[in-house]
Amino acid sequence: MKEIIAIIRRDKVPETKQVLEDLGYPSLTIQSVDGRGKQKGAMCAEMDSEMPESFCTAAKLKPTPSAYAIDHTLPKVALYVPKRMLTIVVPDDVVTKVVKSIMKVSRTGKHGDGKIFVAPIDGALRIRTGETDGEAIA
Amino acid sequence: MKMIRAFIRPEKEQEVVLALEGAGFPSVTKMPVFGRGKQKGLQVGPVHYDELPKTLLMIIVDDEDEGKVVHLIQEKARTGFIGDGKIFVSPVDTAYTVRTGEEGL
Repeated sequence: MKEIIAIIRRDKVPETKQVLEDLGYPSLTIQSVDGRGKQKGAMCAEMDSEMPESFCTAAKLKPTPSAYAIDHTLPKVALYVPKRMLTIVVPDDVVTKVVKSIMKVSRTGKHGDGKIFVAPIDGALRIRTGETDGEAIA
Repeated sequence: MKMIRAFIRPEKEQEVVLALEGAGFPSVTKMPVFGRGKQKGLQVGPVHYDELPKTLLMIIVDDEDEGKVVHLIQEKARTGFIGDGKIFVSPVDTAYTVRTGEEGL
């Protein structure tokens, strides 16, 4: 069993759900999360060039554009972008198929399309019936 | 790859995230959660709080960066008082970027 954690755009959730349903894996958990990636949130990336050299002194760690923006209460800083996190537990053999389908449907080609992580799951139990592992997620 | 899930004080979140960004780990997912630990919540006089608000930060890093990130979070999220939170590390097989379809972080 594998756990597929897909962090995707909010407006792609209905389509993604439909695709999962068509594949035969309709069970999922959805959570509202805030996230950021390589672009450091919505506005921080373009602030890289605006950070003055003088801000870089006396800090143990490399100072960052967002730190500068927050320090100077600049209005442009947006640390996070709202996203939806879908958690789907599927059998090992369909992981690639499900991941590829999610990627296909939630892709816009622009930054912020999200990430998908695949992690191992050791066990599963359906509380109502007591079924375990494979039967529990079927 | 490793998934690091850090349950920290909400007021420490910004400090931790900025420190991680400074160390070269800008990517993070956060969500608000409620939980309790060994102390079974918090007792303030006659009032008992069973669940306390925390912020959950989820960070996926390469194996070799795990220790560095965990130490950084610990250093920044620490106050020395009960309720500083916990950090859990679990394995991740693969990561995909949706925009490009590429594997890897």
